[in-house]
Amino acid sequence: MEIKVGIPGGLLYYRYDTFINTFFDELEIDTVYSLETTKKILDMGVNCCVNEACLPMKIFHGHALNLKNQCDFLFIPRIMRCEKNEFICPKFCGLPEMVMSGIKRYDNVISYPIKMNRPYDLINHFIKIGKSLNVKEYKTISAFQKAVKKHNEKKKGIHDIGYKHNVFLGGHPYNIYDSYANMNLIDKLHSYGIGVITEECVDYKDKEEETKGFIKKPYWVFFKNNYGAGKYLADHGQIDGIVYISSFSCGIDSISVEILKNNVDHFPFLVIKVDEHTGEAGIDTRIEAFADMLERRRLH
Amino acid sequence: MYYMGIDVGSVSTDVVLLDKGLNVVEEIYLKTQGSPIQSVYEAMKIVRDKYDSKQISGVGTTGSGRMIAAAITGADVIKNEITTHAIAASHTDPDVKTILEIGGQDSKIIILRDGIISDFAMNTVGAAGTGSFLDRQAERLGIEIDDLGKLALKSEVQVRIAGRCAVFAESDIIHKQQLGYSKEDLIAGLCQALARNFLSNLGKGKEIQDKIYFQGGVAANLGIKKAFEDLLQKEVIVPKHFKVMGSVGAAILAKEAVEKNGGMTSFKGFDILNAKTHARSFECNDCPNHCEVVMIYSNNQRIGCFSDRCGKYQNQTDVRFKV
Repeated sequence: MEIKVGIPGGLLYYRYDTFINTFFDELEIDTVYSLETTKKILDMGVNCCVNEACLPMKIFHGHALNLKNQCDFLFIPRIMRCEKNEFICPKFCGLPEMVMSGIKRYDNVISYPIKMNRPYDLINHFIKIGKSLNVKEYKTISAFQKAVKKHNEKKKGIHDIGYKHNVFLGGHPYNIYDSYANMNLIDKLHSYGIGVITEECVDYKDKEEETKGFIKKPYWVFFKNNYGAGKYLADHGQIDGIVYISSFSCGIDSISVEILKNNVDHFPFLVIKVDEHTGEAGIDTRIEAFADMLERRRLH
Repeated sequence: MYYMGIDVGSVSTDVVLLDKGLNVVEEIYLKTQGSPIQSVYEAMKIVRDKYDSKQISGVGTTGSGRMIAAAITGADVIKNEITTHAIAASHTDPDVKTILEIGGQDSKIIILRDGIISDFAMNTVGAAGTGSFLDRQAERLGIEIDDLGKLALKSEVQVRIAGRCAVFAESDIIHKQQLGYSKEDLIAGLCQALARNFLSNLGKGKEIQDKIYFQGGVAANLGIKKAFEDLLQKEVIVPKHFKVMGSVGAAILAKEAVEKNGGMTSFKGFDILNAKTHARSFECNDCPNHCEVVMIYSNNQRIGCFSDRCGKYQNQTDVRFKV
């Protein structure tokens, strides 16, 4: 019998989609995806996730629940660390347990810890996955290498050109790229003649440079990416403003937004909070007013 | 020659008429009471009794119900309430540098420099520091909302009330009330909490310079005005038309839009009041998004539609809306 692996969309799938897809394809394992966030997915997630979690966590739960009865294995990565001496939101480290208890599925969940800063650990992690799916080690290694290659080749981020105004669009990838959660934010900005640049389009070295000089080394990956990129683009005159999309109750953003605001003096800055709201009037009003402000500043 | 501004907010629907020189000649303030279509109709009827359609040279709508109001009247301009409030304030006094605005569900701070918005902030998801919260607390204490400000000024002892969230504030008020504090002191504490919360949430990191305008329905409350003055150590001015500044701004923009358009208005005239207008909403099942689509009908003809994410219903509608 063929083994089928279920892959929930949401969270960092938005960043590592190419890697994950290629890896499982190369293993020649059957996969089933739940990728597009819809009202149904959100409702399912809200009902099975702990109440205090942020919106993207709830959405991920919805995708996982959607796949619960459609697959033999459920792939819920436990990302512990992305870079050396840096940390990720603790919810990622406990994601498998959170989801398992939420959707009430406790067996055949692929949840080995991933430490991306150690290549040796990383490859071992995927060899373990291969083993539990009865795939030979050499095949897994080759799948892993191909997946890494494709991931590295992929064009990441958004760098619009040809718009009247340009803004840095800050936030976590799953808020930026999930157009259901962010209510089509990017399209809405485009419709006002505002192009966006995301953090992936700023050099790693430049981001690193911008985050130097704090009294303590900031150790959140999301902070470094967003702060570093926003500050760099603002200082180098590449943008007219900053739009930051953040989930309600996000701990890391609560710091990132304030520090970034304080360090780009008198710069047009719009923070959009997303939660389970579906009324779009609030977000439309803010975007329109922000666009008016950019336009009137330009003419002035 | 009059320009009409309509501001359909969560709590009130305001209509103003401006003359050619942009002076306010009519000012109508009605409660929205959950039915924006009804309240726009009511307000328009009051205008019709004094003016005829030809006298209206342009219409602008604003507020969270600006789409519905535009669908009914055929507005020349539809604008968000941040921009309209700023335009009205800098028209009233070009030296205004800060606007504090508290409405029914929203509160905002707008920073103006040389009459141009240079920064703004709006409350996020909660409605703690807004008019509906005050309404509720006044009701709980058995006081008319209009008396709230006067009572607050009579307070002698400052009671500290938690202001972050409406639920926290309410339980704090109840606890302190049971300890025997007077209503006046509780209300003064509430005003302080609201102003403190406003400034720490929205005003954080913003340079609040003179002149400061305080507008929106809550500006009627002298207790909050005083709380702002105490906290800022600056004079806070409540402009004459504080309640309807949004609609004043919309009317000014309507004039600009009509002039740009060669003097033609798209106002449908007061005959629309003879038509029966109603809204119908349904859940579209064509894709998994299940949008709750709203359609506006006038005499069974569709005049407006919103909330469909893909836009297919909006495209079918005669009147197209650009947000």
